[in-house]
Amino acid sequence: MTGVDETELAARAASGSEEAFGELVALHAPMARRVAYTILEDQEDADDAAQEGFLSAWQAIGRYDPKRAFRPWLMQIVVNAARDLRRRRRVRAAEPLDNVAAAARDDPARDMGAMDLGEKLNAALATLPERQRLAVVLFDAEGYPQAEIAKMLGIPEGTVKSDVFHGRRALRKVLESVKEEWDE
Amino acid sequence: MSDLSPFDAMPDPVLGAALRDALTLPHDGAFVARVRARLGSRDRGWDDVLAGWFWQGLVAASLVAFMAGWAAMSPGTVMGELPESVGAQLLDGARPGSDLLLTAMAGNR
Repeated sequence: MTGVDETELAARAASGSEEAFGELVALHAPMARRVAYTILEDQEDADDAAQEGFLSAWQAIGRYDPKRAFRPWLMQIVVNAARDLRRRRRVRAAEPLDNVAAAARDDPARDMGAMDLGEKLNAALATLPERQRLAVVLFDAEGYPQAEIAKMLGIPEGTVKSDVFHGRRALRKVLESVKEEWDE
Repeated sequence: MSDLSPFDAMPDPVLGAALRDALTLPHDGAFVARVRARLGSRDRGWDDVLAGWFWQGLVAASLVAFMAGWAAMSPGTVMGELPESVGAQLLDGARPGSDLLLTAMAGNR
């Protein structure tokens, strides 16, 4: 977080300031896009969902309670927008996923040696159920407390702990294999 | 590389940084510009605009109520507004005429 007072920006945005909301968009765009990409595994879809999330938040900002943190409120809207888009995509005819994620789904045991760390992690993420992916990304990559993630996803905190545990186990295997390659 | 156990309740900074790198999408600036350009096309309903003023209104009303309460409860206001009782006037020996009043009341018995 920068020195910008997020609560002040949110209060100004709630009073109708597009400029203040635009600053909030700039602050949170990278995280919102990562979270949407975690759910949708496609860059264009992730951007569409993140954009829809921001626009929905703009329309609903009058109902934002400034006593609560802004970031989890916004991220919950982005998660919902991404899940809505994923449901709509499922209804449509099957479309090709992002190359790496699609390859991992089709053949999880394909030659991982040719990929860099980011591609390997994306491939490993693609093999996890969506809830596990989200839990581990929100906890380890974005720094949300497990209780906050539970509220955001509408699941018990114990389920978040379990999802983080299982998600980490798969992803740490990738990190360890890369470390072994580097050590050789 | 991470040395933390999977049971840890703390975020794993190594895994977290690797995930952020893997998931970060390019061209943040273009994305932000696109969203900003579309804010104007999403009109907020009148109920949302009014709701935006709800919290400011609540704070203002709380402030007014607090100030009114403060004024009503301040000691100067309370003592100044209460009428002085007959008993207090009789007991005040320095007040001129208090002895006459006492004598008159005693004489009536």
